[in-house]
Amino acid sequence: MQERYAYYPGCLASLSQKELDSSTRAIAQKLDIELVEMPSVTCCGAGDIHEAKPDYYLHISARILGQAEQMGCETILTICNVCTLNLRQANKALQEDPALLNRINDNLKEVGAATYQGGVDVRHLLWEVSEGNGYEAFKGIAVKSLEGLKVAPFYGCQILRPSKILGFENPDSPQSLERLISACGAEPIDYPAKVKCCGFPIVLAREDVALGELVQPLEQAVEAGADVIVTPCPLCHLSLDAWQRKAADFAGKELGIPILHLAQLLGAAAGIEESELKFKRHVTRLSPEVKAKLQMPSVIGTEA
Amino acid sequence: MTEIKNAHFTTLQGAYDTELMEATLRIRRWDPDTQRARFDTFTVTVPVTASVLDALDAIKDTRDGTLAYRKSCRMAVCGSCGMRIDGGAALACKTPMKKFVDAGHTITVSPMGNLPVIKDLVVDMAPFWEKIRAVKPYLDTRDEDVPDTEWRVAPEHHDMIHKESLCILCGCCVSECNSMESDPDFLGPAALAKAYRFVGDARDTDTRERLRDLNGAHGIWDCTRCYFCNQRCPKGVDPRDAIAKLGAESFKEGFVRDEGARHAKVFVDSTYKGGYLRETELVPKTIGPVNAVKDIPFALQLARAGKVPNPLSPHKAKDNDEVKRLWKLLEKEAKGAERPRALHPDAVREG
Repeated sequence: MQERYAYYPGCLASLSQKELDSSTRAIAQKLDIELVEMPSVTCCGAGDIHEAKPDYYLHISARILGQAEQMGCETILTICNVCTLNLRQANKALQEDPALLNRINDNLKEVGAATYQGGVDVRHLLWEVSEGNGYEAFKGIAVKSLEGLKVAPFYGCQILRPSKILGFENPDSPQSLERLISACGAEPIDYPAKVKCCGFPIVLAREDVALGELVQPLEQAVEAGADVIVTPCPLCHLSLDAWQRKAADFAGKELGIPILHLAQLLGAAAGIEESELKFKRHVTRLSPEVKAKLQMPSVIGTEA
Repeated sequence: MTEIKNAHFTTLQGAYDTELMEATLRIRRWDPDTQRARFDTFTVTVPVTASVLDALDAIKDTRDGTLAYRKSCRMAVCGSCGMRIDGGAALACKTPMKKFVDAGHTITVSPMGNLPVIKDLVVDMAPFWEKIRAVKPYLDTRDEDVPDTEWRVAPEHHDMIHKESLCILCGCCVSECNSMESDPDFLGPAALAKAYRFVGDARDTDTRERLRDLNGAHGIWDCTRCYFCNQRCPKGVDPRDAIAKLGAESFKEGFVRDEGARHAKVFVDSTYKGGYLRETELVPKTIGPVNAVKDIPFALQLARAGKVPNPLSPHKAKDNDEVKRLWKLLEKEAKGAERPRALHPDAVREG
């Protein structure tokens, strides 16, 4: 793990999923790493701009990567699967095709934007804390054992596939989340849908198709006896958390399982206060029992 | 019985003097007469160079002749032996057995997903072919006179559809398509990669009609971007990327009415207007104001948790004028660009 990252929280963590941003900042402080702000960045395009306007997508990606370069950062730290895939996919295309990079830099120059020389890597927080120095550093700050908490890891798609762009771990049997859950003193719960899709990219355009996908991890995690699901992606989180009621109606059964952002789980084990982890910002609320297992002291009845 | 056990490879062993290994496979069996599934485990002796398909052949030849699976070329060209190996679709002929044997791992072999099982590892490909046929998998040049000699396609125009041309129609991408599990009528990755192979073909003149058909229900905007298709394809076709290219072609041709396209447009517009996504515009602009109003109770649930940003003060990134200028520059550039076209032989002769 490095000491200094260009921090790219992305749209969701900056807007509707602010609890992820504040949890990440709190964890970074504990880990003693500097998150350098990127005030001039756009959305990564979330796959939508890649699909609608691929050339524009490459340009805005080069602009984001170029800003990190000009800030003197070797690595952009992401906290969202979709940002990770989109920035890495563009980065690979730009690094492998000098003619493309030249043309894009010419255009960036023309509009007065930062150009990109190809020297930046894009890494997700999960990758940085689940192995090597980052993992050791996390174990060093995980002072509270979340013993008794059963956690179902949900990876989401775009941190695993396609592995030729992501490539951190085996996309069919990933272990990074399990390793971190264990490091928190909690128990990882296994279930087949942990590597499948949450349906979020099409939840507005094709709600029924998306809900048919979303019910699988929710049902399986509940059946496997999980107390909570943890995910490294704020889009998966929004799907699993905010669309859970609709998924339950779709499946015709009760679900009611709280969803944690990865940084919230790590934060709980690191003893970070609830005021920074902001569980109140979840649609599917945490029960007092789950909060107790997360080592979050709360007086029953005071929660909204 | 030991003699029979190795009978299948006595000739191979003689020919290549190959080292042998013991391979164990757990196979899902499906009996169409009794409509029952069971798992059988077999251990066979095979050369260390054996593929999963070779091991299945050894089982069929020496253990159980009723085991059903498809095969033909044995060299990853015919696309017959797609099946799930440890849950992931792959070509049995292209998957070496040795890595599993070395790891002491018993593989589980089962039929591909998203297609009905006929017997054991054989699936009914009829729904697969139906979707391939639905995208008109042939060149349509009806707007041009039929030439006497060949069309001339520039190498860079061929490159545009090179990856999609590599498809061997094995079905591995379809097997794990998450959207297709949820919507069996979704055209799916194989048919859509095939569709792009013709939309992107510089000789084809049916582009607009093709795109119109692909922009409806069960078309390109059903794709949930799970990327299983890219991960599983044994030939590097990357069907998800082909679907994205169909989206881009749809935008170029002005097919932007599908909810999926409208959703994508909000992302595009948000970046040059402010920087980050305008989340509050996403719902009404994707599903329309009427449906958005119907969804108000749901929106209130989200608002209570603080998940609805203030629509009156959308995010404004610093220096975002750069992005606006960039957008204008690229749109101007794109306007001047012409569709890649093959040269009609007459034009070549005249030119």
